[in-house]
Amino acid sequence: MFETDTGGAQIQLRALTKQFPGQAEPAVDSVDLDIPAGELVAFVGPSGCGKTTTMKMINRLVEPTSGEIRIGGEDVLALPPDELRRHIGYVIQQIGLFPHLTIGENVGLVPKLLGWDRPKAEARTEDLLALVNLEPGEYRDRYPRQLSGGQQQRVGVARALAADPPVMLMDEPFGATDPITREHLQNEFLKLQKDLRKTIIFVTHDFEEAIKLGDRIAVLRNQSHIAQYDTPANILANPADDYVASFIGADATLKRLALMTVDEVPTEGPPDPALPQVETGTSLREALDLMVANGTDRCSSPAGVLSYTALCASIGREEVAAGDR
Amino acid sequence: MSLSEYVASRWDTLSLAAAEHALVVAIAIGIATLAGVGIGLVTHRVPRASNASLAVSAGILTIPSLALLTLLIPITGLGWTSTLVALTAYALLPIIRNTVVGLRGVDRATVEAGRGMGMSRVRVLMKVQLPLAWPLILTGIRVSTQMLIGIAAIAAFVDGPGLGTQIFEGLSRLGSVNSLNATLAGTFGIVIVALLFDLFFSVVRHLTTPRGLRVRN
Repeated sequence: MFETDTGGAQIQLRALTKQFPGQAEPAVDSVDLDIPAGELVAFVGPSGCGKTTTMKMINRLVEPTSGEIRIGGEDVLALPPDELRRHIGYVIQQIGLFPHLTIGENVGLVPKLLGWDRPKAEARTEDLLALVNLEPGEYRDRYPRQLSGGQQQRVGVARALAADPPVMLMDEPFGATDPITREHLQNEFLKLQKDLRKTIIFVTHDFEEAIKLGDRIAVLRNQSHIAQYDTPANILANPADDYVASFIGADATLKRLALMTVDEVPTEGPPDPALPQVETGTSLREALDLMVANGTDRCSSPAGVLSYTALCASIGREEVAAGDR
Repeated sequence: MSLSEYVASRWDTLSLAAAEHALVVAIAIGIATLAGVGIGLVTHRVPRASNASLAVSAGILTIPSLALLTLLIPITGLGWTSTLVALTAYALLPIIRNTVVGLRGVDRATVEAGRGMGMSRVRVLMKVQLPLAWPLILTGIRVSTQMLIGIAAIAAFVDGPGLGTQIFEGLSRLGSVNSLNATLAGTFGIVIVALLFDLFFSVVRHLTTPRGLRVRN
């Protein structure tokens, strides 16, 4: 349906507005946004700021009052809504699996709607269950109520991916799970997205989650006005205003450190077995944690020795670091 | 003559009356189910419409059965037709109400997920909401059935079919030969018909409730 060159398609919003009847002000007021193909953009904002409404206009569960939506250059508002939705993955917090259908039937529903033949749809279902780490033989014939919340949400993701849509809309998909399950699902999802490169709009009110998952973050204020739209690192380093800064919280620098790994910092000399050891790919936040815990200002990775000074320099804080010493 | 001797001697009459009793209830329930579920499907999303249909069917239910049957005589005459019309009208309320409540009660997230996946409204209604509401709708049908079995006895008043004739005949000549036997035979017959219907619905419920709604972790 949509032209794509990667796994995803570009999304363009132009002057997108939603005015609900009987309300004084529009819920979403003239939003302009370009979402590059294959990127995950997190919409962050307080409840009621219009982030979900903005997202739901893209698959037209909410019909825009005015404005334009293009996916892969194609005018979404000119397409039949039901047909459009079959090509956009949709995952919601409450999951919404059909309790009277098996897991396999739930996942295979969109392919069935699209008229795929049975063997193709069944093969796809098996692949998808395996993709979200649910053994098809064990889970295909079970019912949603027999699964845990985390497992159900994986089925929700598999179901949304069923027809290989270039665009996925996710509304706080991991919000209802416990912290451990949530982190697990986030990590799995990140890994998945690395291969799939779908264009994803991910609504959340959890800034940490947005930093972790987002290629870019759109911080929204009331009426879906965009306060800042940038990469997590840039938003953390240069929040546009106090509103954005309030979202980040007091530990912006630590959050930035969490986004970088020890491999990005220049080393000072060869690895030193006497120092606390970190592995390749460890985040700078964890490395700093290790230094503080051991009362040292250096640690060693397989690449070489990593110092506190180098760590500060890597996030552009050398002057302060030098001043501290 | 004891009751058992009475039943044995009038077996043909009694079994035919019982079969007719069951048949008239079954037909009325069939029509009321089609109409009631249909009305529920059409009106459940519009509170004003579903409330109106519920009010009308509740209004019908407040008319005493004897009065309704009498009112029907000038229109549909004596016998089957009047009985069927009255029974169908009485059966509507529980069926419409349970259909509306059942369809509305389906988790909004489930409906939204269905719409979000590209199922049309009608498809969501028929493939998702109706199956999920079905156990409740079936309960409505079952309640209506039990109610109709009792009301059908009164249909003998308008020369309708069923076991009511036995009861009315017995009562009208109470004290004479076999009058008590006739009344008792009619009454017990109705109880048996009611039990058989209930058994039938237990089986139907078991067979038609989606398996996914019955399983537990």
